[in-house]
Amino acid sequence: MTRTLASCLGGSLLGVLLATAAGAGEYNLTVDPITVETADFSRPGIGYNGASPGPVLRFKEGEDVTINVTNNLSESTSIHWHGLILPYQQDGVPGISYAGIESGETFTYRFPIVQSGTYWFHSHTGFQEPDGAYGAIVIEPMKREPFRYHRDYVIQLTDAHPHPGRQIMRNLKMMADYYNRKQRTVFDFFRDSEKMGFDAAVADRKAWGEMRMTPTDIEDLQGYTPLINGKTPSQNWTGLFKPGERIRLRFINSSAMSYFDIRIPGLKMTVVQADGQNVRPVPVDEFRIAVAETYDVIVRPREDKAFTIFAESMGRTAYGRGTLAPREGMSAPIPEMREPPLLTMADMGMAHGDHGGMAHGGASHKMPDGSMMKGESHAGHGAEMHKMPDGSTMKGSAHTGHGSVTHRMADGSMMKGMDHSAHGGPAKKEDPFYAAGSGIRPTAANGGKFLSYTDLKAHKPLYPLRPATREIEMRLTGNMERYTWSINGVKYADAEPVRLKYGERVRFKFVNETMMTHPMHLHGMWSIVDNGSGKFNPIKHVVSVSPGTTVYMETEVDAPGQWAFHCHLSYHADSGMFRKIVVEGGPKKEGS
Amino acid sequence: MKYGKLQLAAIAATAILFTATINGDPLSAAGKHSGGHGHGAAKSQGHGGGHGSGHGHGGGHHTFDFGEPGKASDVTREIKVVMKDNLYEPEEISVKAGETIRFKIVNEGEFLHEFGIATAAMHAAHQKQMAVMMEHGMIEAHRINYERMKMDHGAGGHMMNHDDPNSVLVEPGKSAEIIWKFAKTADLEFACNIPGHYESGMVGPIKVD
Repeated sequence: MTRTLASCLGGSLLGVLLATAAGAGEYNLTVDPITVETADFSRPGIGYNGASPGPVLRFKEGEDVTINVTNNLSESTSIHWHGLILPYQQDGVPGISYAGIESGETFTYRFPIVQSGTYWFHSHTGFQEPDGAYGAIVIEPMKREPFRYHRDYVIQLTDAHPHPGRQIMRNLKMMADYYNRKQRTVFDFFRDSEKMGFDAAVADRKAWGEMRMTPTDIEDLQGYTPLINGKTPSQNWTGLFKPGERIRLRFINSSAMSYFDIRIPGLKMTVVQADGQNVRPVPVDEFRIAVAETYDVIVRPREDKAFTIFAESMGRTAYGRGTLAPREGMSAPIPEMREPPLLTMADMGMAHGDHGGMAHGGASHKMPDGSMMKGESHAGHGAEMHKMPDGSTMKGSAHTGHGSVTHRMADGSMMKGMDHSAHGGPAKKEDPFYAAGSGIRPTAANGGKFLSYTDLKAHKPLYPLRPATREIEMRLTGNMERYTWSINGVKYADAEPVRLKYGERVRFKFVNETMMTHPMHLHGMWSIVDNGSGKFNPIKHVVSVSPGTTVYMETEVDAPGQWAFHCHLSYHADSGMFRKIVVEGGPKKEGS
Repeated sequence: MKYGKLQLAAIAATAILFTATINGDPLSAAGKHSGGHGHGAAKSQGHGGGHGSGHGHGGGHHTFDFGEPGKASDVTREIKVVMKDNLYEPEEISVKAGETIRFKIVNEGEFLHEFGIATAAMHAAHQKQMAVMMEHGMIEAHRINYERMKMDHGAGGHMMNHDDPNSVLVEPGKSAEIIWKFAKTADLEFACNIPGHYESGMVGPIKVD
């Protein structure tokens, strides 16, 4: 493999050299005050080894790393190694793993690298991460990977904002829609009245008002500049290739608040890893990356020309842009952003009530393993069938007339059944990870394949399938107007820790009762997302939960100690959508 | 898509390849699928370019311009190809024009894999077919679904049998062989066209001297 990454990351080259100069397995990082500059603004920020993003830390699976972190800030700091499995004292969350790193101090992290893939690191203190304190981690595997490539690049996204994080939080608390520039106006109301009638438009407004949310609450923080590897769209980060080469792109979303829909017009992307874990390769045209997720894709440009890496924010308020090109200085057209989506009543969770009677599919299509999620997805299926005048007839008949759908369920591949029933029509297959009729469910710009969580199947499952020992319900809750975010209606400051027992397998039920999408992140242990693939359910470190949906994930409780669990949207986590998880029992590790 | 036609034209020649991989139940020949599906045209539109490229089967013609199925008696050399997830050993193959090779293909992986000899363009076309087969459950990640291979033709997949003479699907733990006589010329690749595998690098060059 060609390791040309560092040289293409500009400022981080120095960081890599510094990081490796300390000798095999020993790395040095400094946490420094820096200036974050884009074409639009310049503000004080925080970086590593003098730059944001910080260096790409390249570890090897099986090595024991020593990382000396020196805090050159005038306040305390911390570094969390996002997605890494390690002893809890090394996890870097102040108040849970350790006390943090005081100004002027050096803290030495020591832990074994027990995995491979693409991850990242960031401060877990205050709003240092949105202010620039993040970097990438690439871990070389011990064994050959199930794919081959000629070169690889980290593509690290962030949503750099002109305001420092503290100020953003203050403004959001003061006025939750402070940064929402997509508010609906009285003119939208007249348009809606024309379309749905005056009464319906009033009822619609009233329902939204009661939710204390608006249909444009897709991104509650707007006005940022998306950066790729620290570069603005006009600075155009560029990765070089020779035509015919396979390139591995390691996408990392280090944004504070922003999801991105990513495509490279003219190139198919084959997703080979999600959150650092091998998945069965899925060729796609576009994919959505939640905050804090990583996806590794392989592309193979055969032509001697440039291709645009286009990262459109989920709310279509901004885009990041980079280029793959055979030579420096080349560029390809930049697509127009698509129309901003609007949340629907389905995203509000209303579709459940409205279509409760349609949930006939739920019971009969229950999987043999008793998983309830697929049941619900079929309930959703019914609801969507009902809603789509064009698709409903065909889908309806496919549903009733197809013994094979049920038949198919028995082999554990629910989505194939779906494909089957929908094969004659346009791509309107159900996606249980969005509310039926959701306004934010994405489609590919070119009409092709958009990655779904249901496509992610573990290449070699890390854990055998076994029934969960118990279920824990986590309702994701909030009050948009007061800008408080919580779990089961209780914010972190008022909550007891969640207690788990070493050795159990817990099934978490996430019920999103808000209108925002929450990327839920459990530290220290893997999140096995129930996407209907049975023993091939993918393992992740971030599970994105869309509005109006219920998502299940299971965790093998195999890491003693105490861990953080939270929504990875910085301002949601800070305002209370956060829990401490205590794992009781288990082996005591000496020296840790 | 003339390669598609060639590929599918060769259906009659299948048995030699598939009997090697399958416990009983050899893949049915195309003719078996012809009955009772007059509505194929309407159904097949949903498959885009996935298939439909070659309805000119039945000719029994199975010569490609780069070579043809060889006779066992002409074999001069045997090449063992190990398939893993998702790679080949060796990663490239060299042959001489006119040479007849017996490829012994062993799947040591946990997933279903293909060994196919063709040009890059042919592989690209075949990938579309394989994507449809996967979508229809005719092939699954770990196995060939023979039941579905047979029954799914009603859904427009009646020409979707995986039975080209230059290619073989091998289930995990099984082995197969292809005897192939290489003609002159051609930029050839051996490749696995199961969705995502080629793209992840499960492809190697065949150098014909």
